[in-house]
Amino acid sequence: MNKEEFLTNMQDVLQTEEDLNYETVLEDLDEWDSLSVMATMAFLEKNFNIKTTMKDYKEMKTIGDIAKKAGL
Amino acid sequence: MTVSSYTHVQISGIKTVVPEHFIDIDDEMQYFDNNPKKLARAKKMMGYGRRYIADELTTVTDMAVDAAEKLLTEMSIDRGDIDLLIFVNQKPDYPEPCDACVAHGRLRLKKSCTTLDINLGCSGYIHALMTAHAFVSTGAFKTCLLLAGDLCAKINDQTNRKVAPVFGDTASATILKYTSEERKAYFVTGTDGLGWNKIVHPLGGTRLPLSKDTIDLYVEDVSGNKTLLSQGILKGEDVFNFTMDVAPTLLKETMKAAAWDKDDIDLFAIHQANKQIVENIISKAEIPAEKAPIDVFSKYANNSTNSVATVLCDQDKEMKKVILCTFGIGLSWGGAALDLSGMYNGGVSKYITPKNTPTRKQQLEYWTNYFKGAEE
Repeated sequence: MNKEEFLTNMQDVLQTEEDLNYETVLEDLDEWDSLSVMATMAFLEKNFNIKTTMKDYKEMKTIGDIAKKAGL
Repeated sequence: MTVSSYTHVQISGIKTVVPEHFIDIDDEMQYFDNNPKKLARAKKMMGYGRRYIADELTTVTDMAVDAAEKLLTEMSIDRGDIDLLIFVNQKPDYPEPCDACVAHGRLRLKKSCTTLDINLGCSGYIHALMTAHAFVSTGAFKTCLLLAGDLCAKINDQTNRKVAPVFGDTASATILKYTSEERKAYFVTGTDGLGWNKIVHPLGGTRLPLSKDTIDLYVEDVSGNKTLLSQGILKGEDVFNFTMDVAPTLLKETMKAAAWDKDDIDLFAIHQANKQIVENIISKAEIPAEKAPIDVFSKYANNSTNSVATVLCDQDKEMKKVILCTFGIGLSWGGAALDLSGMYNGGVSKYITPKNTPTRKQQLEYWTNYFKGAEE
């Protein structure tokens, strides 16, 4: 998955119509809720074999932080 | 994970009941800021749909006994044949005695019938089914009635949106019989007791009994969801990680135990925790999605102990080779590979609360008189 595809996939994961970029602040998204956190956990686990915890989500502030977690 | 197998046991019949009252997520637009898009998003992501909720006076024993009465009638089974009663649930009618004894009396079963309760939630149907197999396969017990249920929705505050849309109430009865046929059943089970506090009701037991100073204790999150400590807690993210670690492996181990290929299997009944979790298990375990229902969650929600029984009862086709997969409180998990050929499927019926069900006031009067020794 390249960086472009990651953004498209994240749009689907969060079920948001907002255009995402690496600087998008998670807290600014209406859709950044507990459903999205669980969906992101599943997405990272399935595609990158990366396990995340609530602590990670408190530290991650932007879409770019999630990408970094995924190793992109 | 321990693998065990049992022979000479036939699962003869099963039936689930649901209460009359239900809530559809489409009627709860107010919790989605009256925004249809937000509602549609939650439905798509979590699979929210319909959930049945038992009324204040109804207990898990009421519903499970009703399922048993219906099943015995439909299958023309003589209740005098039942020599083992196992009841798996987590919220008993009374702290003592166990529900299996109460149900034994309600069903007028014979005195030589052995009864026991198993206290487990989401993984519990398999643990109870395995226990039933172990007893019946000896040949000492010929007919087992297995009752299952856990009324989670009834105790939930429906304004607590973290948990309310997830849970629904159902209960079931299953009949297992000793058979001269070999008929093998395989079980794979395990526990991680270090995770005991990941799904927990800390109050109301003997360590922290419910009292005046604990009954109203609550925490409020940023969205204004209030959770009473007495209602218990599920640490979603930890349970999610646990599930993704355990459930896909469990499915593979269970197929391996029975030496079944995924093409041989008619149905994968996976605990309907929510749509997102079930979908992720299916994809990680690489099992055929068309054989692993997800829509049962949208029809009945998460039924805790009874969830996989609801999946079985929701099927309208003949099933032979079936894999069950459960996981949850404990933390604990169980898989089963079962030959269900010839099983009577009683489906899902309504439990109608009897008109003469005693009110809370009547019950308190009854017990006061009972303690005075003045009862009838």
